[in-house]
Formats: sequence, C-alpha cells, structure tokens
Amino acid sequence: MSVAWVGSQVVSLSDAIQHAAKLLASSHCPVISFDADVHGTRSVIALAEKLGAAYDHIRGRDLVNEITLFTSYGGMFTTPGEVRRRADLVVLVGDIPAEHHDLILSWASAPADLAAKDARRWFHLKANRPAPDNTGMNSLSRKVKAVALSAEGASLGSAVALLRAELADRPTVTSLTNLDKLKKALAEAAFPVFVFSGNTDEPMSLAMLQGLVADLNKAKRASSLFLPTDDAAWGAVLTCVWATGFPPRTGFPNGAPVYDPRRWDIERMLREKEADLHLWISARDSASPARRGGIPFIALVRTISPVPGAAVTIAVARPGVDHDSVTYSSRIGTFRAERASAPSDQPEVADIVRELAEALPC
Amino acid sequence: MKGLTFTLRAEPEERLDLSALTPDRLDGMSVAEIAKLRVGISRRPALVGDIFRITGKDVSQIAFDGGSSRFDGIGTGMSGGTLYVSGDVGAQAGRKMTGGTIVIEGSCGIHAGSGMIGGKLEIHGHAGDYLGGPLAGEMLGMEGGVLVVRGRAGHYAGDRMRRGVIAILKGCGDYAGSRMIAGSIAVKGRVGAMPGYMMKRGSLLFDRRPETLSPTFIDCGRVDIAFSGLFDRYLIEEGILDKPLLGRKPGKYGGDTAVLGKGEILFRLGR
Repeated sequence: MSVAWVGSQVVSLSDAIQHAAKLLASSHCPVISFDADVHGTRSVIALAEKLGAAYDHIRGRDLVNEITLFTSYGGMFTTPGEVRRRADLVVLVGDIPAEHHDLILSWASAPADLAAKDARRWFHLKANRPAPDNTGMNSLSRKVKAVALSAEGASLGSAVALLRAELADRPTVTSLTNLDKLKKALAEAAFPVFVFSGNTDEPMSLAMLQGLVADLNKAKRASSLFLPTDDAAWGAVLTCVWATGFPPRTGFPNGAPVYDPRRWDIERMLREKEADLHLWISARDSASPARRGGIPFIALVRTISPVPGAAVTIAVARPGVDHDSVTYSSRIGTFRAERASAPSDQPEVADIVRELAEALPC
Repeated sequence: MKGLTFTLRAEPEERLDLSALTPDRLDGMSVAEIAKLRVGISRRPALVGDIFRITGKDVSQIAFDGGSSRFDGIGTGMSGGTLYVSGDVGAQAGRKMTGGTIVIEGSCGIHAGSGMIGGKLEIHGHAGDYLGGPLAGEMLGMEGGVLVVRGRAGHYAGDRMRRGVIAILKGCGDYAGSRMIAGSIAVKGRVGAMPGYMMKRGSLLFDRRPETLSPTFIDCGRVDIAFSGLFDRYLIEEGILDKPLLGRKPGKYGGDTAVLGKGEILFRLGR
C-alpha cells in the first residue's frame, strides 16, 4: 500500500521526506499545525526548533481559553482520584463535555471512602439563559441529583460572581437559587470540589471561579478539577510545556522558544500571509487544512490517498490504534500507556518528523 | 538637529520586532549601525536597512514615515523622547514604557500600552484587545502614565490596571477594567458587556449608563462628588475631550462585590 505522494504521484517514503525537507529548508516562515501523541509532539517541537518555525495544535482555537486559565489566571487544582475518594461536595460549573459524563457518573455511584461521610452532595452552578443543551448537561445534572444554582437571566460569569459575593456575605443585586442549601452543605463539607471545563464563552468566569476557591481556602480545604475538552489535545499541551516551558502557539524566532498566543496563531499567520509553508500533521484523522491563499502545505495525515492540494502527502499511523502510544487521560489526571488496538506497519508521526529533521541541511 | 526618521520602503513581508528602535536603545549608535539591527522574526530576518530608509540624527525624536500592522513592539521600554508613527502598528505598542511620548496616527493591535509605567501613548485610530493589559504570565497591567485612544478599543481594556489613566473616545468592547486594582478608565461611547468584572478598586468613567453589568455591582444612585468635576476638567485641559464626560452629579455603581468591592463606575445621567 502506498504511504507517500508528491502531489498526486506515488513516491517512496524516503523521496517524499527528501522533497518535504527541501520545501521546509527553502521556506522563510514555515508553520506547523499538529495533532499527535507525546512522542509525535516531542518530534514536532524538535523540528520547529531546528527550523526556527512556529507551531500550534490543530485545535488551537479551542485550547486558547483552557491554556489562558493557567497562563493568565492560575488556580488550585486537584486530581480525579482525590475527587472520587475525598470530595464530599461536588459543584459542577457550567457545561462539561459529554466525554467526561461517565467519569462524573462513576463518582455518583461510588462512596467517597476517604471522607468522613459516605454521602456526596451535588450542585450545578449554571447560566440561566435559553440555550440548547448540546452537551447533555441537564441530563447529567438530573442523574446525579444536583441542586441547581442559578439566577434569573444570569450568564455563567454572573452566576459565579454572585456565588462568590454571596458566600462572602457581600451585597448583590439578585440572588442565586438554592444558595442556603449550598451554604449549609459547604459548612458541613470537609473537601468541596468545583468541577469545570475550560471551554467557555466567558473565560473570565474561570478567573472568578478560581478566586472563589481561593476564598474558601482561607477557612477550609477546597479545590477544583479541570476537565479538558479534548484529552489528546491537552496531552499535547502538557508535553509542550514540559519540553519548552510553554504551551502551543510557540515559535523559535531566535532559537529560543517564545510563547505568544497571537503572534503564533497559525490560522492568523496563514490568513495574513505571514507564513509561506504549512506543515499539517494529523495523526488522528485525515482532516486537511483549509486552503488559505494558495500557501503550499505538506500533509502528514491518516490517509490512503494523497491529500488534494498538498505538495507532499505522507500517510501516518494513528496512536493507540496502529502503534502503542502515551496519551493524557482525564480519568486518571495524567498520562497513560496505550496498547495498539490494531497494530500495523504504517509509519509513526514521530519517526517521520524525526527523519524530516535529519534530512534538513544543517 | 533633525529627528531620526525611518521611511518605510515597502510593506514588510514578515512581522517585525521594532522594540530596539527607541531613543534609549539607539542613543550613541550611527546610522550604519542602526541599519544593521535585526528586526525580522522569520528564518532569514530582515534588518532595519532592508525595511527603512534612515535619515536624520536626533534619536530623541524618532519618526516612522509609514506604518504597518506588522510593526510589533514600537516604543517598548521607552523612557524619554518622542516617537511618532504616521500609520498603523501591530501588537504591544508602548509596552512597559516609562516616559516620553508616543503618537500613532493609525490603529494599534493587541496589548497596546501593556504594562505601561509612565509617559504618554496616544493612538489616533483604534486599539485591539487587552489595551494596557498584562501578557500571559504577568500579574500586573498598566502601572502608570496616560493612554489615549481616539478610536475604539477592543475587549479587556485596562485588564489588571494598577495606576494611570486610560481614555477611550469611541467606545470599547466587553470586560473593560476587568481585574482592575486601581487607576482610572474614561470611555466615551458604547461600552460592551461586564465592565469592571472582578475590579477591586479604581474608577470606570462612562458618558452613559453601562448596558450589561455583573449583578455584583450595586446602584449607589446619584452622587455629588468633587472628583467628577475635577476629572472632567483634567480631560479637557489635557486636550483629550472638549466637553465634560460625567457632568456635575453622575450616577454611580459600586463593585465588584465578588472581590473587594471598592471600585466604582461613574456615568453621566440622562443618556
């Protein structure tokens, strides 16, 4: 089966790598969009450093708010294991992606065995505005028997602000429903935890939420659990932080990594024609980049045919399916090894990118 | 002696980091040395001489004849002198400046006046998001100086501001004055949602009642205070406005009670 193409022409893998390396070497401002496992991400960073390129995750636009939580706000975070075993009060905040609902339901069916009391109390702090329930959050809330906390017409940002003010006994214009129940539960709880996702229309509400957790910690232990929208993407973010000190949207303009979420926004760079070559790496699927202004691109994707418009296409393996991999798991709050479910001899992203870097003239 | 002038030869093909072209950093350098400074950020970065024709000698008066949204870091860390740009600039104009004056005839990108400590930055066009705000990982926004935007500003204007004055003359986006610690932000024109969210202290001064506030701002009614008149006079005397912004007895909201709650939103009544 063919795994490499130059244009629509089938070529050997080594020829495709040589051709891609030539394009990269002659580029003034190459940019990389990637979606890969830990090893793939490390190889992308090494290539970007050697090239003086910038990189972003393919889902960079969705990740920005989640990353901002850590780069601009900070907070107090715990692990899913701590929540399961120790949290006697769980407050769900806003919408949580459907991928995490099973995890949350598993807490509801298990006792908090390290807490003084077995029973766990549930609340759901949410916006009170007509909006479609895309994530099934209302259903989840009913299943865990969460008490709703909201205020007439309030956005999530307003609801979090109200909660923080009212818990500090400061005046507000309106009041949250069921606040007395929450105050009583908080007074009795040994370890309240606020569970939230970073993908919100109101990123500033996350800063307010972390302020609330900090307020509670003045009197007792409390924490929050961050559940990312996309585990694999979050794993790539953590890998980047570990490797360079910075999350994606990092460039190497002078050899050293520089994090700038606007300057190295790859979509913007392509739209404004700052980049002149796009390396697109998608180990999870065959998605190809939206063509922007005829800027040439090299595609490393899961495919069986050349990507239309790509100068070079190389078929790559899917981590966890074609080969063993290491990925992030929200269920355990860290990385885990994953066995290949259908091993194949498709080339891994990490190997291809490493060969690309080696084929570059020094 | 004629001021140092950088005349743009053509629209740059890459983003430029112009933080090195300030009076402080160019002091004592010859034109030939300046021309060899690296300003591009691509793999084959452009030099000053590739992008600009350089004339004049007085580094205390720098002018850019022609602008571009790819001019990043104009006037970074400037402590004195004047810097004038006849067109647009990119991100982080006037970042961390401590003195002197920057005038930009066009519009600015994101983070104009970020972490500014002193001096004056005047933008005749529009400004992007996070006007005066901190970069990722920084704890403080604007710490002093005067920042005037004669057009419209984006979201999060004055985020984490600690001291100084921001005046915006054609409205701004959402979350103006978010996480403010102190200082004053005056806005003429429409203000977006949630101004003052998480502000601890400081003053937001509007020419109309804000449309969407967090419920943690309390209506304090009409107030008769000397500050509104004093600030109106300041804005007119400095040539920032030609008419009073607040009037004699403005309306007031106090907040944000979710945090310290010692901030205020003053606004002109009757609009």
